[in-house]
Amino acid sequence: MKFSLLLFILFHKLKRAVKTNGAYRSYIGTVQLRILIRTADGKRGRLFVFDRGSLTSKRGGGFDADAALVWADAATAFKVMASGSDEESFLAAARGKLKVEGMAYYIQWFTDGVKLVMK
Amino acid sequence: MADIKAGHLVAKYLKEVEGVEIVFGISGGHIESILDGFTEYGIRTIDVRHEQAAAMMAHAWSVYTGKTGVCFLTAGPGFTNGITGIANAYLDNAPLVVICGKHPLRDDLKGALQEMNQIDVVKPITKWAATCYDAKRIPEYMALAFRQATAGRPGPVFLELPPDILNIMIPEESAPMPSRPSRRYTIHPDDADLEQAAALINAAKKPLFLGGSGVGLSASGDRLREFVEKSGVPFMLLNYGRGELPDSHPQSMWDIGNVGLLVTLGQADLVIAAGIRFNWLLMSGGVIPPAAKLLRIDIDPQEVDRNRQADVGLVGDIASVLAQLTPLVEKRSHSEWISTFKAAGKAFIDSELKARENPSDPIHPIRLVAKIQETVGEDAVYVVDGGDTSYFGQVGFVTRQKAGVIGTSSGLLGCLGTGIPFGMAAKLARPDKTVVVLNGDGSFGFNSMEFDTMVRHNIPVVVVVNNDCAWGMIKHSQEMSIGGDRLSCSELGTRRYEKMVEGLGGHGEFVTKDEEIVPALKRALASGKPACVNVMTDPTVTSPATPLFYQSLKMQ
Repeated sequence: MKFSLLLFILFHKLKRAVKTNGAYRSYIGTVQLRILIRTADGKRGRLFVFDRGSLTSKRGGGFDADAALVWADAATAFKVMASGSDEESFLAAARGKLKVEGMAYYIQWFTDGVKLVMK
Repeated sequence: MADIKAGHLVAKYLKEVEGVEIVFGISGGHIESILDGFTEYGIRTIDVRHEQAAAMMAHAWSVYTGKTGVCFLTAGPGFTNGITGIANAYLDNAPLVVICGKHPLRDDLKGALQEMNQIDVVKPITKWAATCYDAKRIPEYMALAFRQATAGRPGPVFLELPPDILNIMIPEESAPMPSRPSRRYTIHPDDADLEQAAALINAAKKPLFLGGSGVGLSASGDRLREFVEKSGVPFMLLNYGRGELPDSHPQSMWDIGNVGLLVTLGQADLVIAAGIRFNWLLMSGGVIPPAAKLLRIDIDPQEVDRNRQADVGLVGDIASVLAQLTPLVEKRSHSEWISTFKAAGKAFIDSELKARENPSDPIHPIRLVAKIQETVGEDAVYVVDGGDTSYFGQVGFVTRQKAGVIGTSSGLLGCLGTGIPFGMAAKLARPDKTVVVLNGDGSFGFNSMEFDTMVRHNIPVVVVVNNDCAWGMIKHSQEMSIGGDRLSCSELGTRRYEKMVEGLGGHGEFVTKDEEIVPALKRALASGKPACVNVMTDPTVTSPATPLFYQSLKMQ
């Protein structure tokens, strides 16, 4: 539940940034990308759809995407994502709690954008 | 002593002083007496079909043998055709001696055949460029050229010789040869700098060694092995440094590939960057975490603080610096850090690792690379040339050979078309090794006529075309930037390149299905001929290098 709420809040922060944050708007540019953050069982997650400067989102983990950040479980996902720590993500990946499906670069692009909004 | 044709002095110097056995080029009237000298002194000539290939082969010869490569160009268009290869060697810091014809001085400003100011054109892309005006001084100029090419940071040099001095007879004793070849003098860092560097290494908990072309050009494999095995530091060898130690070394990080490296590098607390420039491929140093300490080792002092100030800089030849540094570092094991780093890195390339293992229709490029690797093995030389193709080849091939996996188009010039010339030079340098070139279909077009050269000179290289019917990196970049409905000049279509190769006397194979890859490769290898295996691959696959490329040109 906390994980889903975190993703919902993240979407709204990014959505607001698209409207009000020039740097972020410039960052996403005309990119067309579908980024999915989900749990391994696919029961929880959220799809972020970037389409030439717009951002929409859908709740759920069962979507096709260009790249997906897959967490072993929702509790780990919430703990690590809420920490905002690169080191925590690194260690989660090393422990098999996190993996990337599709191109890691897209996930890097997405997370760099999140950092831009949060700073 | 008898008279000598002055043009023969070039070959005499090459053979008797530098021990050069092979040169690359195309014939031309302006350099006829130089060519005759090659015959006189028994130097093998590889005559190609476009001078850019000659310059690229000579460049590659220096990489694969450690000896300075030599190419010859005739005046005018021979010279201009060679420019791309010279520029590529310049940006790659490769030692290369370019011997070039020139219009007759006698006819200067009269509208002579192929009259042009070559020196001013070539100066910005060479370490040294000169014209020799005196036949007696040809050996002296040749010695200067070799010294300039190899001293300090290596690079291409250019020497033009007009017919006025080549096509005359002179007393041989009037043009004496130097008593010894050019040699590289090593430069060493100060003791205090070495001690500071050792202190950084000894204090590091999560170190990483990044080695670039300087590691390869200084032939530092033995010194590097001593260093990494004593210090316990994990390493990644890139560019011409690849293969100085085997990719399968337990401390090598190649099994996580470039992407695994880039996304996990942020956790390192010390980066040792040796003989590698912080250029756009490393985001001008932006991939090095701000909190990490940085130790840079480079032969060029200008490079030490470039794009990111180093905590400690060691200036010198990599091999000799490591020989001085290793006694100062403590014996350590970083096995826990290495296994954590590798496990994290692999998590970020999970899909790619799965794609290697599983057949797909159409064929995924990384699956093609995996099947080539499975068939050919680690004791081979791989050359990779293309955009997306380069990425897949460099991360997928594994080698035990020095410079055993080179992404020839991944240098600063991003020069497509280099793969076939590099493959040819690799086979000439190491005739007992299998040489495979993985070409994109776009890059294949630039030098594919060199199959004729391979057939004439019996250079049996296997070229596998990763055929996505497009300039893939550009196409996928355009899809991101201007949209897939507005693609411009980025599509190529289905072409039977293997049939063209058959027409030139080589062996051809056409592959559309996963199960056909290995049998086709085996037939190509068994043919003993230069071979083209044309493999149709998935045109929708994009490599991680493409968005990096796209972002690098994004201005707003």
